[in-house]
Amino acid sequence: MAENILVIGGGPAGMQSATLLADLGVNVSLVERDSYLGGNPKKFKYKFLFPDMQPADNVIGELIRKTETNSNIKIYYSSEVSDFKENGKKFDVTIKSPNGNETKTFDSVIVATGFEHFDPARDAKYSYQLFDDVIDIKDLERMFGEGNVNRPSNGQPPKNVAFILCVGSRDRHVGNQYCSRVCCTVSVKQAIELREHFPDCEVYIFYMDIRTYGFFEDLYWEAMEEHDVQIVKGRVAEITSGPNNTVICKGEDTLLRGPFEIPFDMVVLASGMEGGPQSPEMAKKLGLELDEHGFLKPQNVTLAPFKSNKKGVFLAGACTGPKAISDSITEGGAAAMDAYVYAMKNK
Amino acid sequence: MEYDENGVSIVPFEFKKEIFEEARKDFRYEEYVRGCLNCGVCTGGCPPHRFFDFSPRIVLQNMKSKDPELIWTMMDEYIWACFQCFTCAMICPFLNNPGGVIAILREIAVRRGFESAKKVLKPYSRVLLKLTAYGNQLSPDMIQPDFFPDWGPHIGYASTDLPTKRKAIPMPTLQVTNLAWDVAPETMKELYDIFDEAGVFKIIESVDPSLYEIIQDIVDDVRSS
Ligand SMILES: Cc1cc2nc3c(=O)[nH]c(=O)nc-3n(C[C@H](O)[C@H](O)[C@H](O)COP(=O)(O)OP(=O)(O)OC[C@H]3O[C@@H](n4cnc5c(N)ncnc54)[C@H](O)[C@@H]3O)c2cc1C
Ligand code: SF4
Ligand code: SF4
Ligand code: SF4
Repeated sequence: MAENILVIGGGPAGMQSATLLADLGVNVSLVERDSYLGGNPKKFKYKFLFPDMQPADNVIGELIRKTETNSNIKIYYSSEVSDFKENGKKFDVTIKSPNGNETKTFDSVIVATGFEHFDPARDAKYSYQLFDDVIDIKDLERMFGEGNVNRPSNGQPPKNVAFILCVGSRDRHVGNQYCSRVCCTVSVKQAIELREHFPDCEVYIFYMDIRTYGFFEDLYWEAMEEHDVQIVKGRVAEITSGPNNTVICKGEDTLLRGPFEIPFDMVVLASGMEGGPQSPEMAKKLGLELDEHGFLKPQNVTLAPFKSNKKGVFLAGACTGPKAISDSITEGGAAAMDAYVYAMKNK
Repeated sequence: MEYDENGVSIVPFEFKKEIFEEARKDFRYEEYVRGCLNCGVCTGGCPPHRFFDFSPRIVLQNMKSKDPELIWTMMDEYIWACFQCFTCAMICPFLNNPGGVIAILREIAVRRGFESAKKVLKPYSRVLLKLTAYGNQLSPDMIQPDFFPDWGPHIGYASTDLPTKRKAIPMPTLQVTNLAWDVAPETMKELYDIFDEAGVFKIIESVDPSLYEIIQDIVDDVRSS
């Protein structure tokens, strides 16, 4: 008899786990909170992905098609795990879906519930939601996806745009001391996209450190050398309203200019990633550990990054911390391996 | 004291080190000085930064450098440019408190009677005198053209005919110009006890010895009354 494995969360990580297990002949149940698969990249209509600017459809669209067409995967849309009990080495799980409740026994479980974007309104100094032209990287991602990146306030093309890095990350005031890892690269990518879209528009990036780690660094250089993006060291202290429907970024250029107050047509906040409400929810329901940053905690971050503290429950993707899609997909595969081995051993 | 060829006093390194150690031993130091990523948020929000070459980021960085020379360079003018508004402490993403560091350094300058402290506190000697003599901080007769030029262009006019103007105020005043309100001798005695306990008299003695003498006479009078 084939193994039964439960995957919770249908983002890049969860879809990778589900399709690999299904290819091995496992009966996979995939529980997704939303009415569609694809996770955050789908929700916010990412159009082109770093590091190589390939269309998101190549990656996310492809994973969705593979998942949806695999007959070994049963997808529960708009659903949740409503009850979770250990049954020896197996798990009795009730899935609540629009079609009612269904209880099944699973050999192992993969949690891939991902992240939530930090809500920049929580940090008042950035005036998000106060001014229409202050948006964040997920908003801009969606605007690119919908084909309209004009100023939200008046529908005109922006003449200058500022990116502000580390919004909601590396900030003890908002409670997130960690670095969200992808927002530098996303910002640099979007700066390039804006320069290509509006060749007359000046684009600034205000940074504390630029963390385009590894090969992502190529995009950083490209932004500077080929697209003339202005990179200024200094974190913005305050955003206020300026003349002619502009928003003023006030801060200290710690290397060159000293104090600055520059009016911009549009400001893009590089909001970071958080464990969201789903991480504590999973921790509570499944008896998993949360880390001090609000993400799910692996048993050993180096040796067993895909194992949770509970035997038979595995973790993949951004639910254990900020990471890029490639890492999430890699983890989806690795967790699938762990979950499969556990299921085989306890047959 | 040694002097260089320009007649400027040479401060020995040992002394600068002593000042730094004094700051570092302050009970608030650990709380105020944490990790700093040179992000400039504190400076971006700092009001005087818009007007002077002054940056709370530099204050914190100098402190973290643990270099007595760098810290010494701030003791003369730098630390006095701060408004003590503590915006920096409110907005630093890493919960540093550059304004608090400045408070520590200023207190050292005052305790040790540094020239910079004397210079900065000079305009306040009238206030101190008024306070110790009458328990008032400000009174009408202190409005004089040569003091507090920042009070605006009409200070000259405002300072003339004070008794008449005082009478024209349509609410009860003491009808005098040297007092804003009356303070009972018992209250004054309590104030002196607080000043004693808090070391205020000692500070006045170190930054303005002649003022201290005048104040001591007043205090003795009130206490023996
Ligand atoms: C603005 C932005 C742009 C980015 N651009 C790129 C890029 O260009 N290239 C790149 O490599 N990376 C990029 N990333 C990173 C990328 O978004 C993540 O690496 C990736 O989404 C993580 O995948 P995941 O499957 O772990 O989580 P998610 O994408 O968050 O998916 C989790 C899924 O789980 C579901 N879920 C959550 N809770 C529950 C629950 N309780 N029950 C059932 N289902 C649940 C969610 O609905 C979601 O479908 C970007 C990130 C941001 C913030
Ligand atoms: S990736 Fe960049 S923007 Fe994001 S938290 Fe890290 S340093 Fe800040
Ligand atoms: S306390 Fe001083 S250094 Fe800090 S913001 Fe206010 S004026 Fe600037
Ligand atoms: S805001 Fe804090 S971390 Fe940033 S430069 Fe100032 S003291 Fe350093």
